[in-house]
Amino acid sequence: MGDITIDISALIVSAILLAGLYATMSYGLALIYGVMKIVNLAHAGVMMWGAYGAFILIARLGANPFLAPLLIVPAFFIFGVFLQRYVVRRVMGAPPISSLLLLFGIWLIMQNISYLVFTGDTKAITTKYTLLTFQVSGISISVNRLVVFIVGILALVALRQFLGRTYMGKAIRATAQDSDASKLVGINTARIMEIAFGIGIALAGLAGSLMALIFAFDPDFGRSHLLKGFCIVVLGGLESMIGVALGALVLALAEALSVLWLMPALQDFVSFALLVIVLVVMPGGMKELLSKFIKN
Amino acid sequence: MSKPREIFLAILVVLIFFIFTRGTGFSQVSPTAPKEIILGAALPLTGGQSREGGYVNKAYAMALKEINDAGGIMVKAYGKKIPIKLIIYDDKSDNTTSVQLYEKLVTEDKVNALLGGYGTPLITAHTIVAEKYRVPYVNGGGATGAIYQRGMKYIFCIISSIEKLSFTLMDWMAIQQNAGKLKKPLRIGLMGENTSHGKEFRQGVLDKSKAAPDRFNVVMDEPFELNLKDADPLLQKVKAANADAFLADARLADYVTIHRRYTEMGQYHSIVSYGPRGPEKAARDALGPASDYIVSCNWWNKDVPTQAAKVFADKYQKTYNEPAEWFAATAYETFRVMAKAIEDAGTLDKTKIRDAIAKMDMRNSLVVGGRVWFEPNGQINNDHLMMQNMPGGKVALIYPKDVATAEPIVPIPKK
Repeated sequence: MGDITIDISALIVSAILLAGLYATMSYGLALIYGVMKIVNLAHAGVMMWGAYGAFILIARLGANPFLAPLLIVPAFFIFGVFLQRYVVRRVMGAPPISSLLLLFGIWLIMQNISYLVFTGDTKAITTKYTLLTFQVSGISISVNRLVVFIVGILALVALRQFLGRTYMGKAIRATAQDSDASKLVGINTARIMEIAFGIGIALAGLAGSLMALIFAFDPDFGRSHLLKGFCIVVLGGLESMIGVALGALVLALAEALSVLWLMPALQDFVSFALLVIVLVVMPGGMKELLSKFIKN
Repeated sequence: MSKPREIFLAILVVLIFFIFTRGTGFSQVSPTAPKEIILGAALPLTGGQSREGGYVNKAYAMALKEINDAGGIMVKAYGKKIPIKLIIYDDKSDNTTSVQLYEKLVTEDKVNALLGGYGTPLITAHTIVAEKYRVPYVNGGGATGAIYQRGMKYIFCIISSIEKLSFTLMDWMAIQQNAGKLKKPLRIGLMGENTSHGKEFRQGVLDKSKAAPDRFNVVMDEPFELNLKDADPLLQKVKAANADAFLADARLADYVTIHRRYTEMGQYHSIVSYGPRGPEKAARDALGPASDYIVSCNWWNKDVPTQAAKVFADKYQKTYNEPAEWFAATAYETFRVMAKAIEDAGTLDKTKIRDAIAKMDMRNSLVVGGRVWFEPNGQINNDHLMMQNMPGGKVALIYPKDVATAEPIVPIPKK
């Protein structure tokens, strides 16, 4: 086999677009952990249900593929609120293993419901935008992937505005910083946690509905994305949305550019190696690095 | 009565007794036929392989009904036909569960023989049970050759290996080269999922290329992890390799992900193949015209123009109101092979059934080539069927010639 010269600019563009997807699928994880200090293992199941939700809306009911997520977000928000209120709340305050097992169990239930309703058949959504591309300086850009990237940016902007400029957002941040102090100043932390969990679930559902435009899926969908999401949240600094976005970008670039030296099969290895390095060297993640950089 | 007369009558009675019990083992009690022959299988009826497991389950049910409607299997040792009882468990597509259930089938349910399900990982795991307890086992869903290279004597498979699949593909490409439709040497961009299935596919292509360097030159060879999230880096390598043919081994979801991105990137090769993947409805719906002209290798297709294949395809369609896929066809034939082996053995002795499978030569089968016979390692070695996706959602059989329904379109037309 001879030398292969890869188009690096195409790799970088592809990685940036992928980062948008990675970020969107990680915001919900970061938000829930930030506020409630629990790792939402059901995140994968929610993304999977988001994909099936998009499938029903787009493939079965003929909804516009880019408007379908707008219907999915509020539906999943309500689902998240109810899930927190009637199920997750019961393990708040218990050892972390309780919430881990509970949410893992919820994931399995969601998976099995999907097997029953949809069977194990692989599904894919095909629209008039599927395979539609345009060229920029000889680089082929997929319309679907560009839209997902834009939604990722918009989600970040919306989250930042919500968390920074609204009463509810500030209350969420306060609860994330210090739950007890928040109660003392009159914040209904139970309600805040419901809302934060609902937003986290809504974001996961949104991510799933967007991913369904790009990937084929089945009831096992989301498992490997969940692991990637953990890496990104840790890279980003666990409780920072900007950090998550930067972490997603760093991860996507690292994976894409690693093929210049490593086998493509080792992309996941790159993700997890980065996770370990960041935890050891820089536990605060990108947010810590950014803070140091700004101070200096 | 006089004494000599008594003695004569006694001798006569004994003689008559011997005559009428000859051949039934006078020195032992005549064997009592069991009420039923028990066959067992653990299938992935739920979980990741549930789609394929569902086909296998339906095919087994169809074969079971067919044989039992005819009275069952003729077992010479008992001089009668005995119906079959089939025990099916759901292994949930989980290796550990599969092994446990096969143990249950053998130790608690006391099956006479075992049937397999679908999927290399599951079959690799649970075949150990059949071998450990020396229970004959036949499957039609685990093609990876590594399963049958473990020196096991009780494990059989009626589908050819993945290595053979890649050989069939390469031999077919050689035929296209001889016909002047593909260039020589052909530069091949090769990739495969990082599983024994994918490794075997890649190794087969590499071996054929090494054996015929004037025909084939593999310019890129890469494994990839399952559930590919970003096919771009891999496909950038394919593009940069400047190959003439793009060969991959991928599961359905990855095939869709990879080929969508391949199409978006505007890539072109004279031949594109994803190994056994290609004509699946889910993929054709997901990819649309982008999936046209992809060639695939498989073990059966409903359009194979042989009597056996047609009869099965029609019956399956009528029974379940859906077209049969290859998993169903090979499962149906697996059941029939086991039934024939029991009949040939003439007994329910497991070792004798195993021997009967090993020396089986079943003709007029629906498998490609029409014949079921096993190599010493227990796996069949028939040719694969090659198909090509045609425009309009159609699929043409292109190889072997005796079952081909259309001429292949080679090279793929440029858009």
